[in-house]
Amino acid sequence: MTSAALGLVFREASGRIVAALASRFRDLDLAEDSFADACARALEVWSREGPPRDAAAWLYQTAYRCAVDTWRRRKTEHRFAPELQRNAIEEQAMPAEWTPIPDERLRLIFVCCHPAVAPDARAALTLRLVCGLSTREIARAFLLPEPTLAQRLIRAKRKIAEAGVSFEVPEPEAWPERLDAVLSTIEIAYGRAHEDAAGSGPHFNYAAEMLEITRVLAELLPHEAETWAMAAIVRFAEARRPARVDARGMMIPLADQDPGAWVEPLIADARRCLDRAVVLQPRAPRVLQASIHAAWCARRALTDPPPWSRILTLYDELLKVRDDCIVRLNRAVALAEVHGIAAASAAIESLTAPPLDDFLPYHAVRADLLCRAGRYDEARIAYDAALALVATSAERLWLERQRAALTE
Amino acid sequence: MQYMLLIYEDERIYGPDRESPAARERRAQHVAYSRELGATRLAGSGLKDSTAATTIRAAAGKQTIHDGPFAESREQLAGYYLIDVTDLDAAIAVARKVPLSQNGAVEIRPLLVPL
Repeated sequence: MTSAALGLVFREASGRIVAALASRFRDLDLAEDSFADACARALEVWSREGPPRDAAAWLYQTAYRCAVDTWRRRKTEHRFAPELQRNAIEEQAMPAEWTPIPDERLRLIFVCCHPAVAPDARAALTLRLVCGLSTREIARAFLLPEPTLAQRLIRAKRKIAEAGVSFEVPEPEAWPERLDAVLSTIEIAYGRAHEDAAGSGPHFNYAAEMLEITRVLAELLPHEAETWAMAAIVRFAEARRPARVDARGMMIPLADQDPGAWVEPLIADARRCLDRAVVLQPRAPRVLQASIHAAWCARRALTDPPPWSRILTLYDELLKVRDDCIVRLNRAVALAEVHGIAAASAAIESLTAPPLDDFLPYHAVRADLLCRAGRYDEARIAYDAALALVATSAERLWLERQRAALTE
Repeated sequence: MQYMLLIYEDERIYGPDRESPAARERRAQHVAYSRELGATRLAGSGLKDSTAATTIRAAAGKQTIHDGPFAESREQLAGYYLIDVTDLDAAIAVARKVPLSQNGAVEIRPLLVPL
């Protein structure tokens, strides 16, 4: 087995095994360390004897054994430590070889996204523990120095341990708040992957993880509209990825993308998820967002007119349940196409700039509207503001082209 | 696990002698709440006005005594509960029901060494 193949086995097994150990021993560090020990053992044993038939089961057994050993050792070292007595785990027989790894990932997601965990650590912790990404990969994705991110993870894990965060899936009455924290975390994590239109950057490898995690969440909480909607959103967005940049690596706006390049099976999958969500709660915010994606993905060819009036209707609906600057901004884009530049400009100018000052799409949308209104000097200033914030080369190339076109 | 619930409120709404109608009403709520908590509540009490507070400050090892609370802020430490529950979620559920004025906070802190 090559080291790349081993890496893949480790990563695929990681989330399930760490989750199973964490919920068994109620200790994130113990779970992570034991899994790491098992991977080290695997490298040694598998290179000598060849990989076992079921690599994941082997890793789980080994990690479980490591965890029990560590746990026993700690118990004798700190015989009288009160928190260990409190957490006293009944000794239990080792899992038999045929035991499937219990799927405790949902519990782990709820632990990582607990409102008691610092918001800026939730997404990173989820990617680390549930998706098995390395600290380095996550640090690159979040544009943070690795030590900073590592510190954030350590602090979050310590908080979880010391504050007594529960390893249970919360009671249904707590879901509105808790599930929203989970879905917001996934939105942030996916946002990082999605920003990178070209898919060439460090975020790309976890777009696939996001497809998986949203699927798991929807299957585990099948009666929640927004879990299905979230799964649909990620699928629709990923389906469009091949059409998001041109041959030179420049971003292509949604309305100019060739629908022929979109990934049809992923769109079909997304639509199935959305159908389930719509049956449950058609007016939930994320269900409406997924419906907006669906409206775009229903386009068959560039020669079909873009579905602007349908998009505007959906944004009007969304505004009723989620009134924030970002929804208003996106609605203004549709408004410009349906009711003209003046209406859209009025909607944009009524937004208060301060919270949007650091938001690239705000400046980009404004620049475009100013340009179409013939106000080129102001448009140029807005493009400069957008360019000052741009992070990916695909967007930079596009903004630079738009700005250059002003002088022609 | 054992947690301390620290209640922060703007004490001015209760009046200096804690005999205002607002203070009486809140006290009755706490009595009812304590009864509801039963064995979950290990201890708890309101605290007298922060004007009754005396603070010992240490600076470079030298202690000085001051009139008033440690932190000057809009909300003051107004009372506490000590509770015994299974985990943070249970503590949050208990803390959510603490009688509290319109603006205030309940800080949930696990005990380092349980009673």
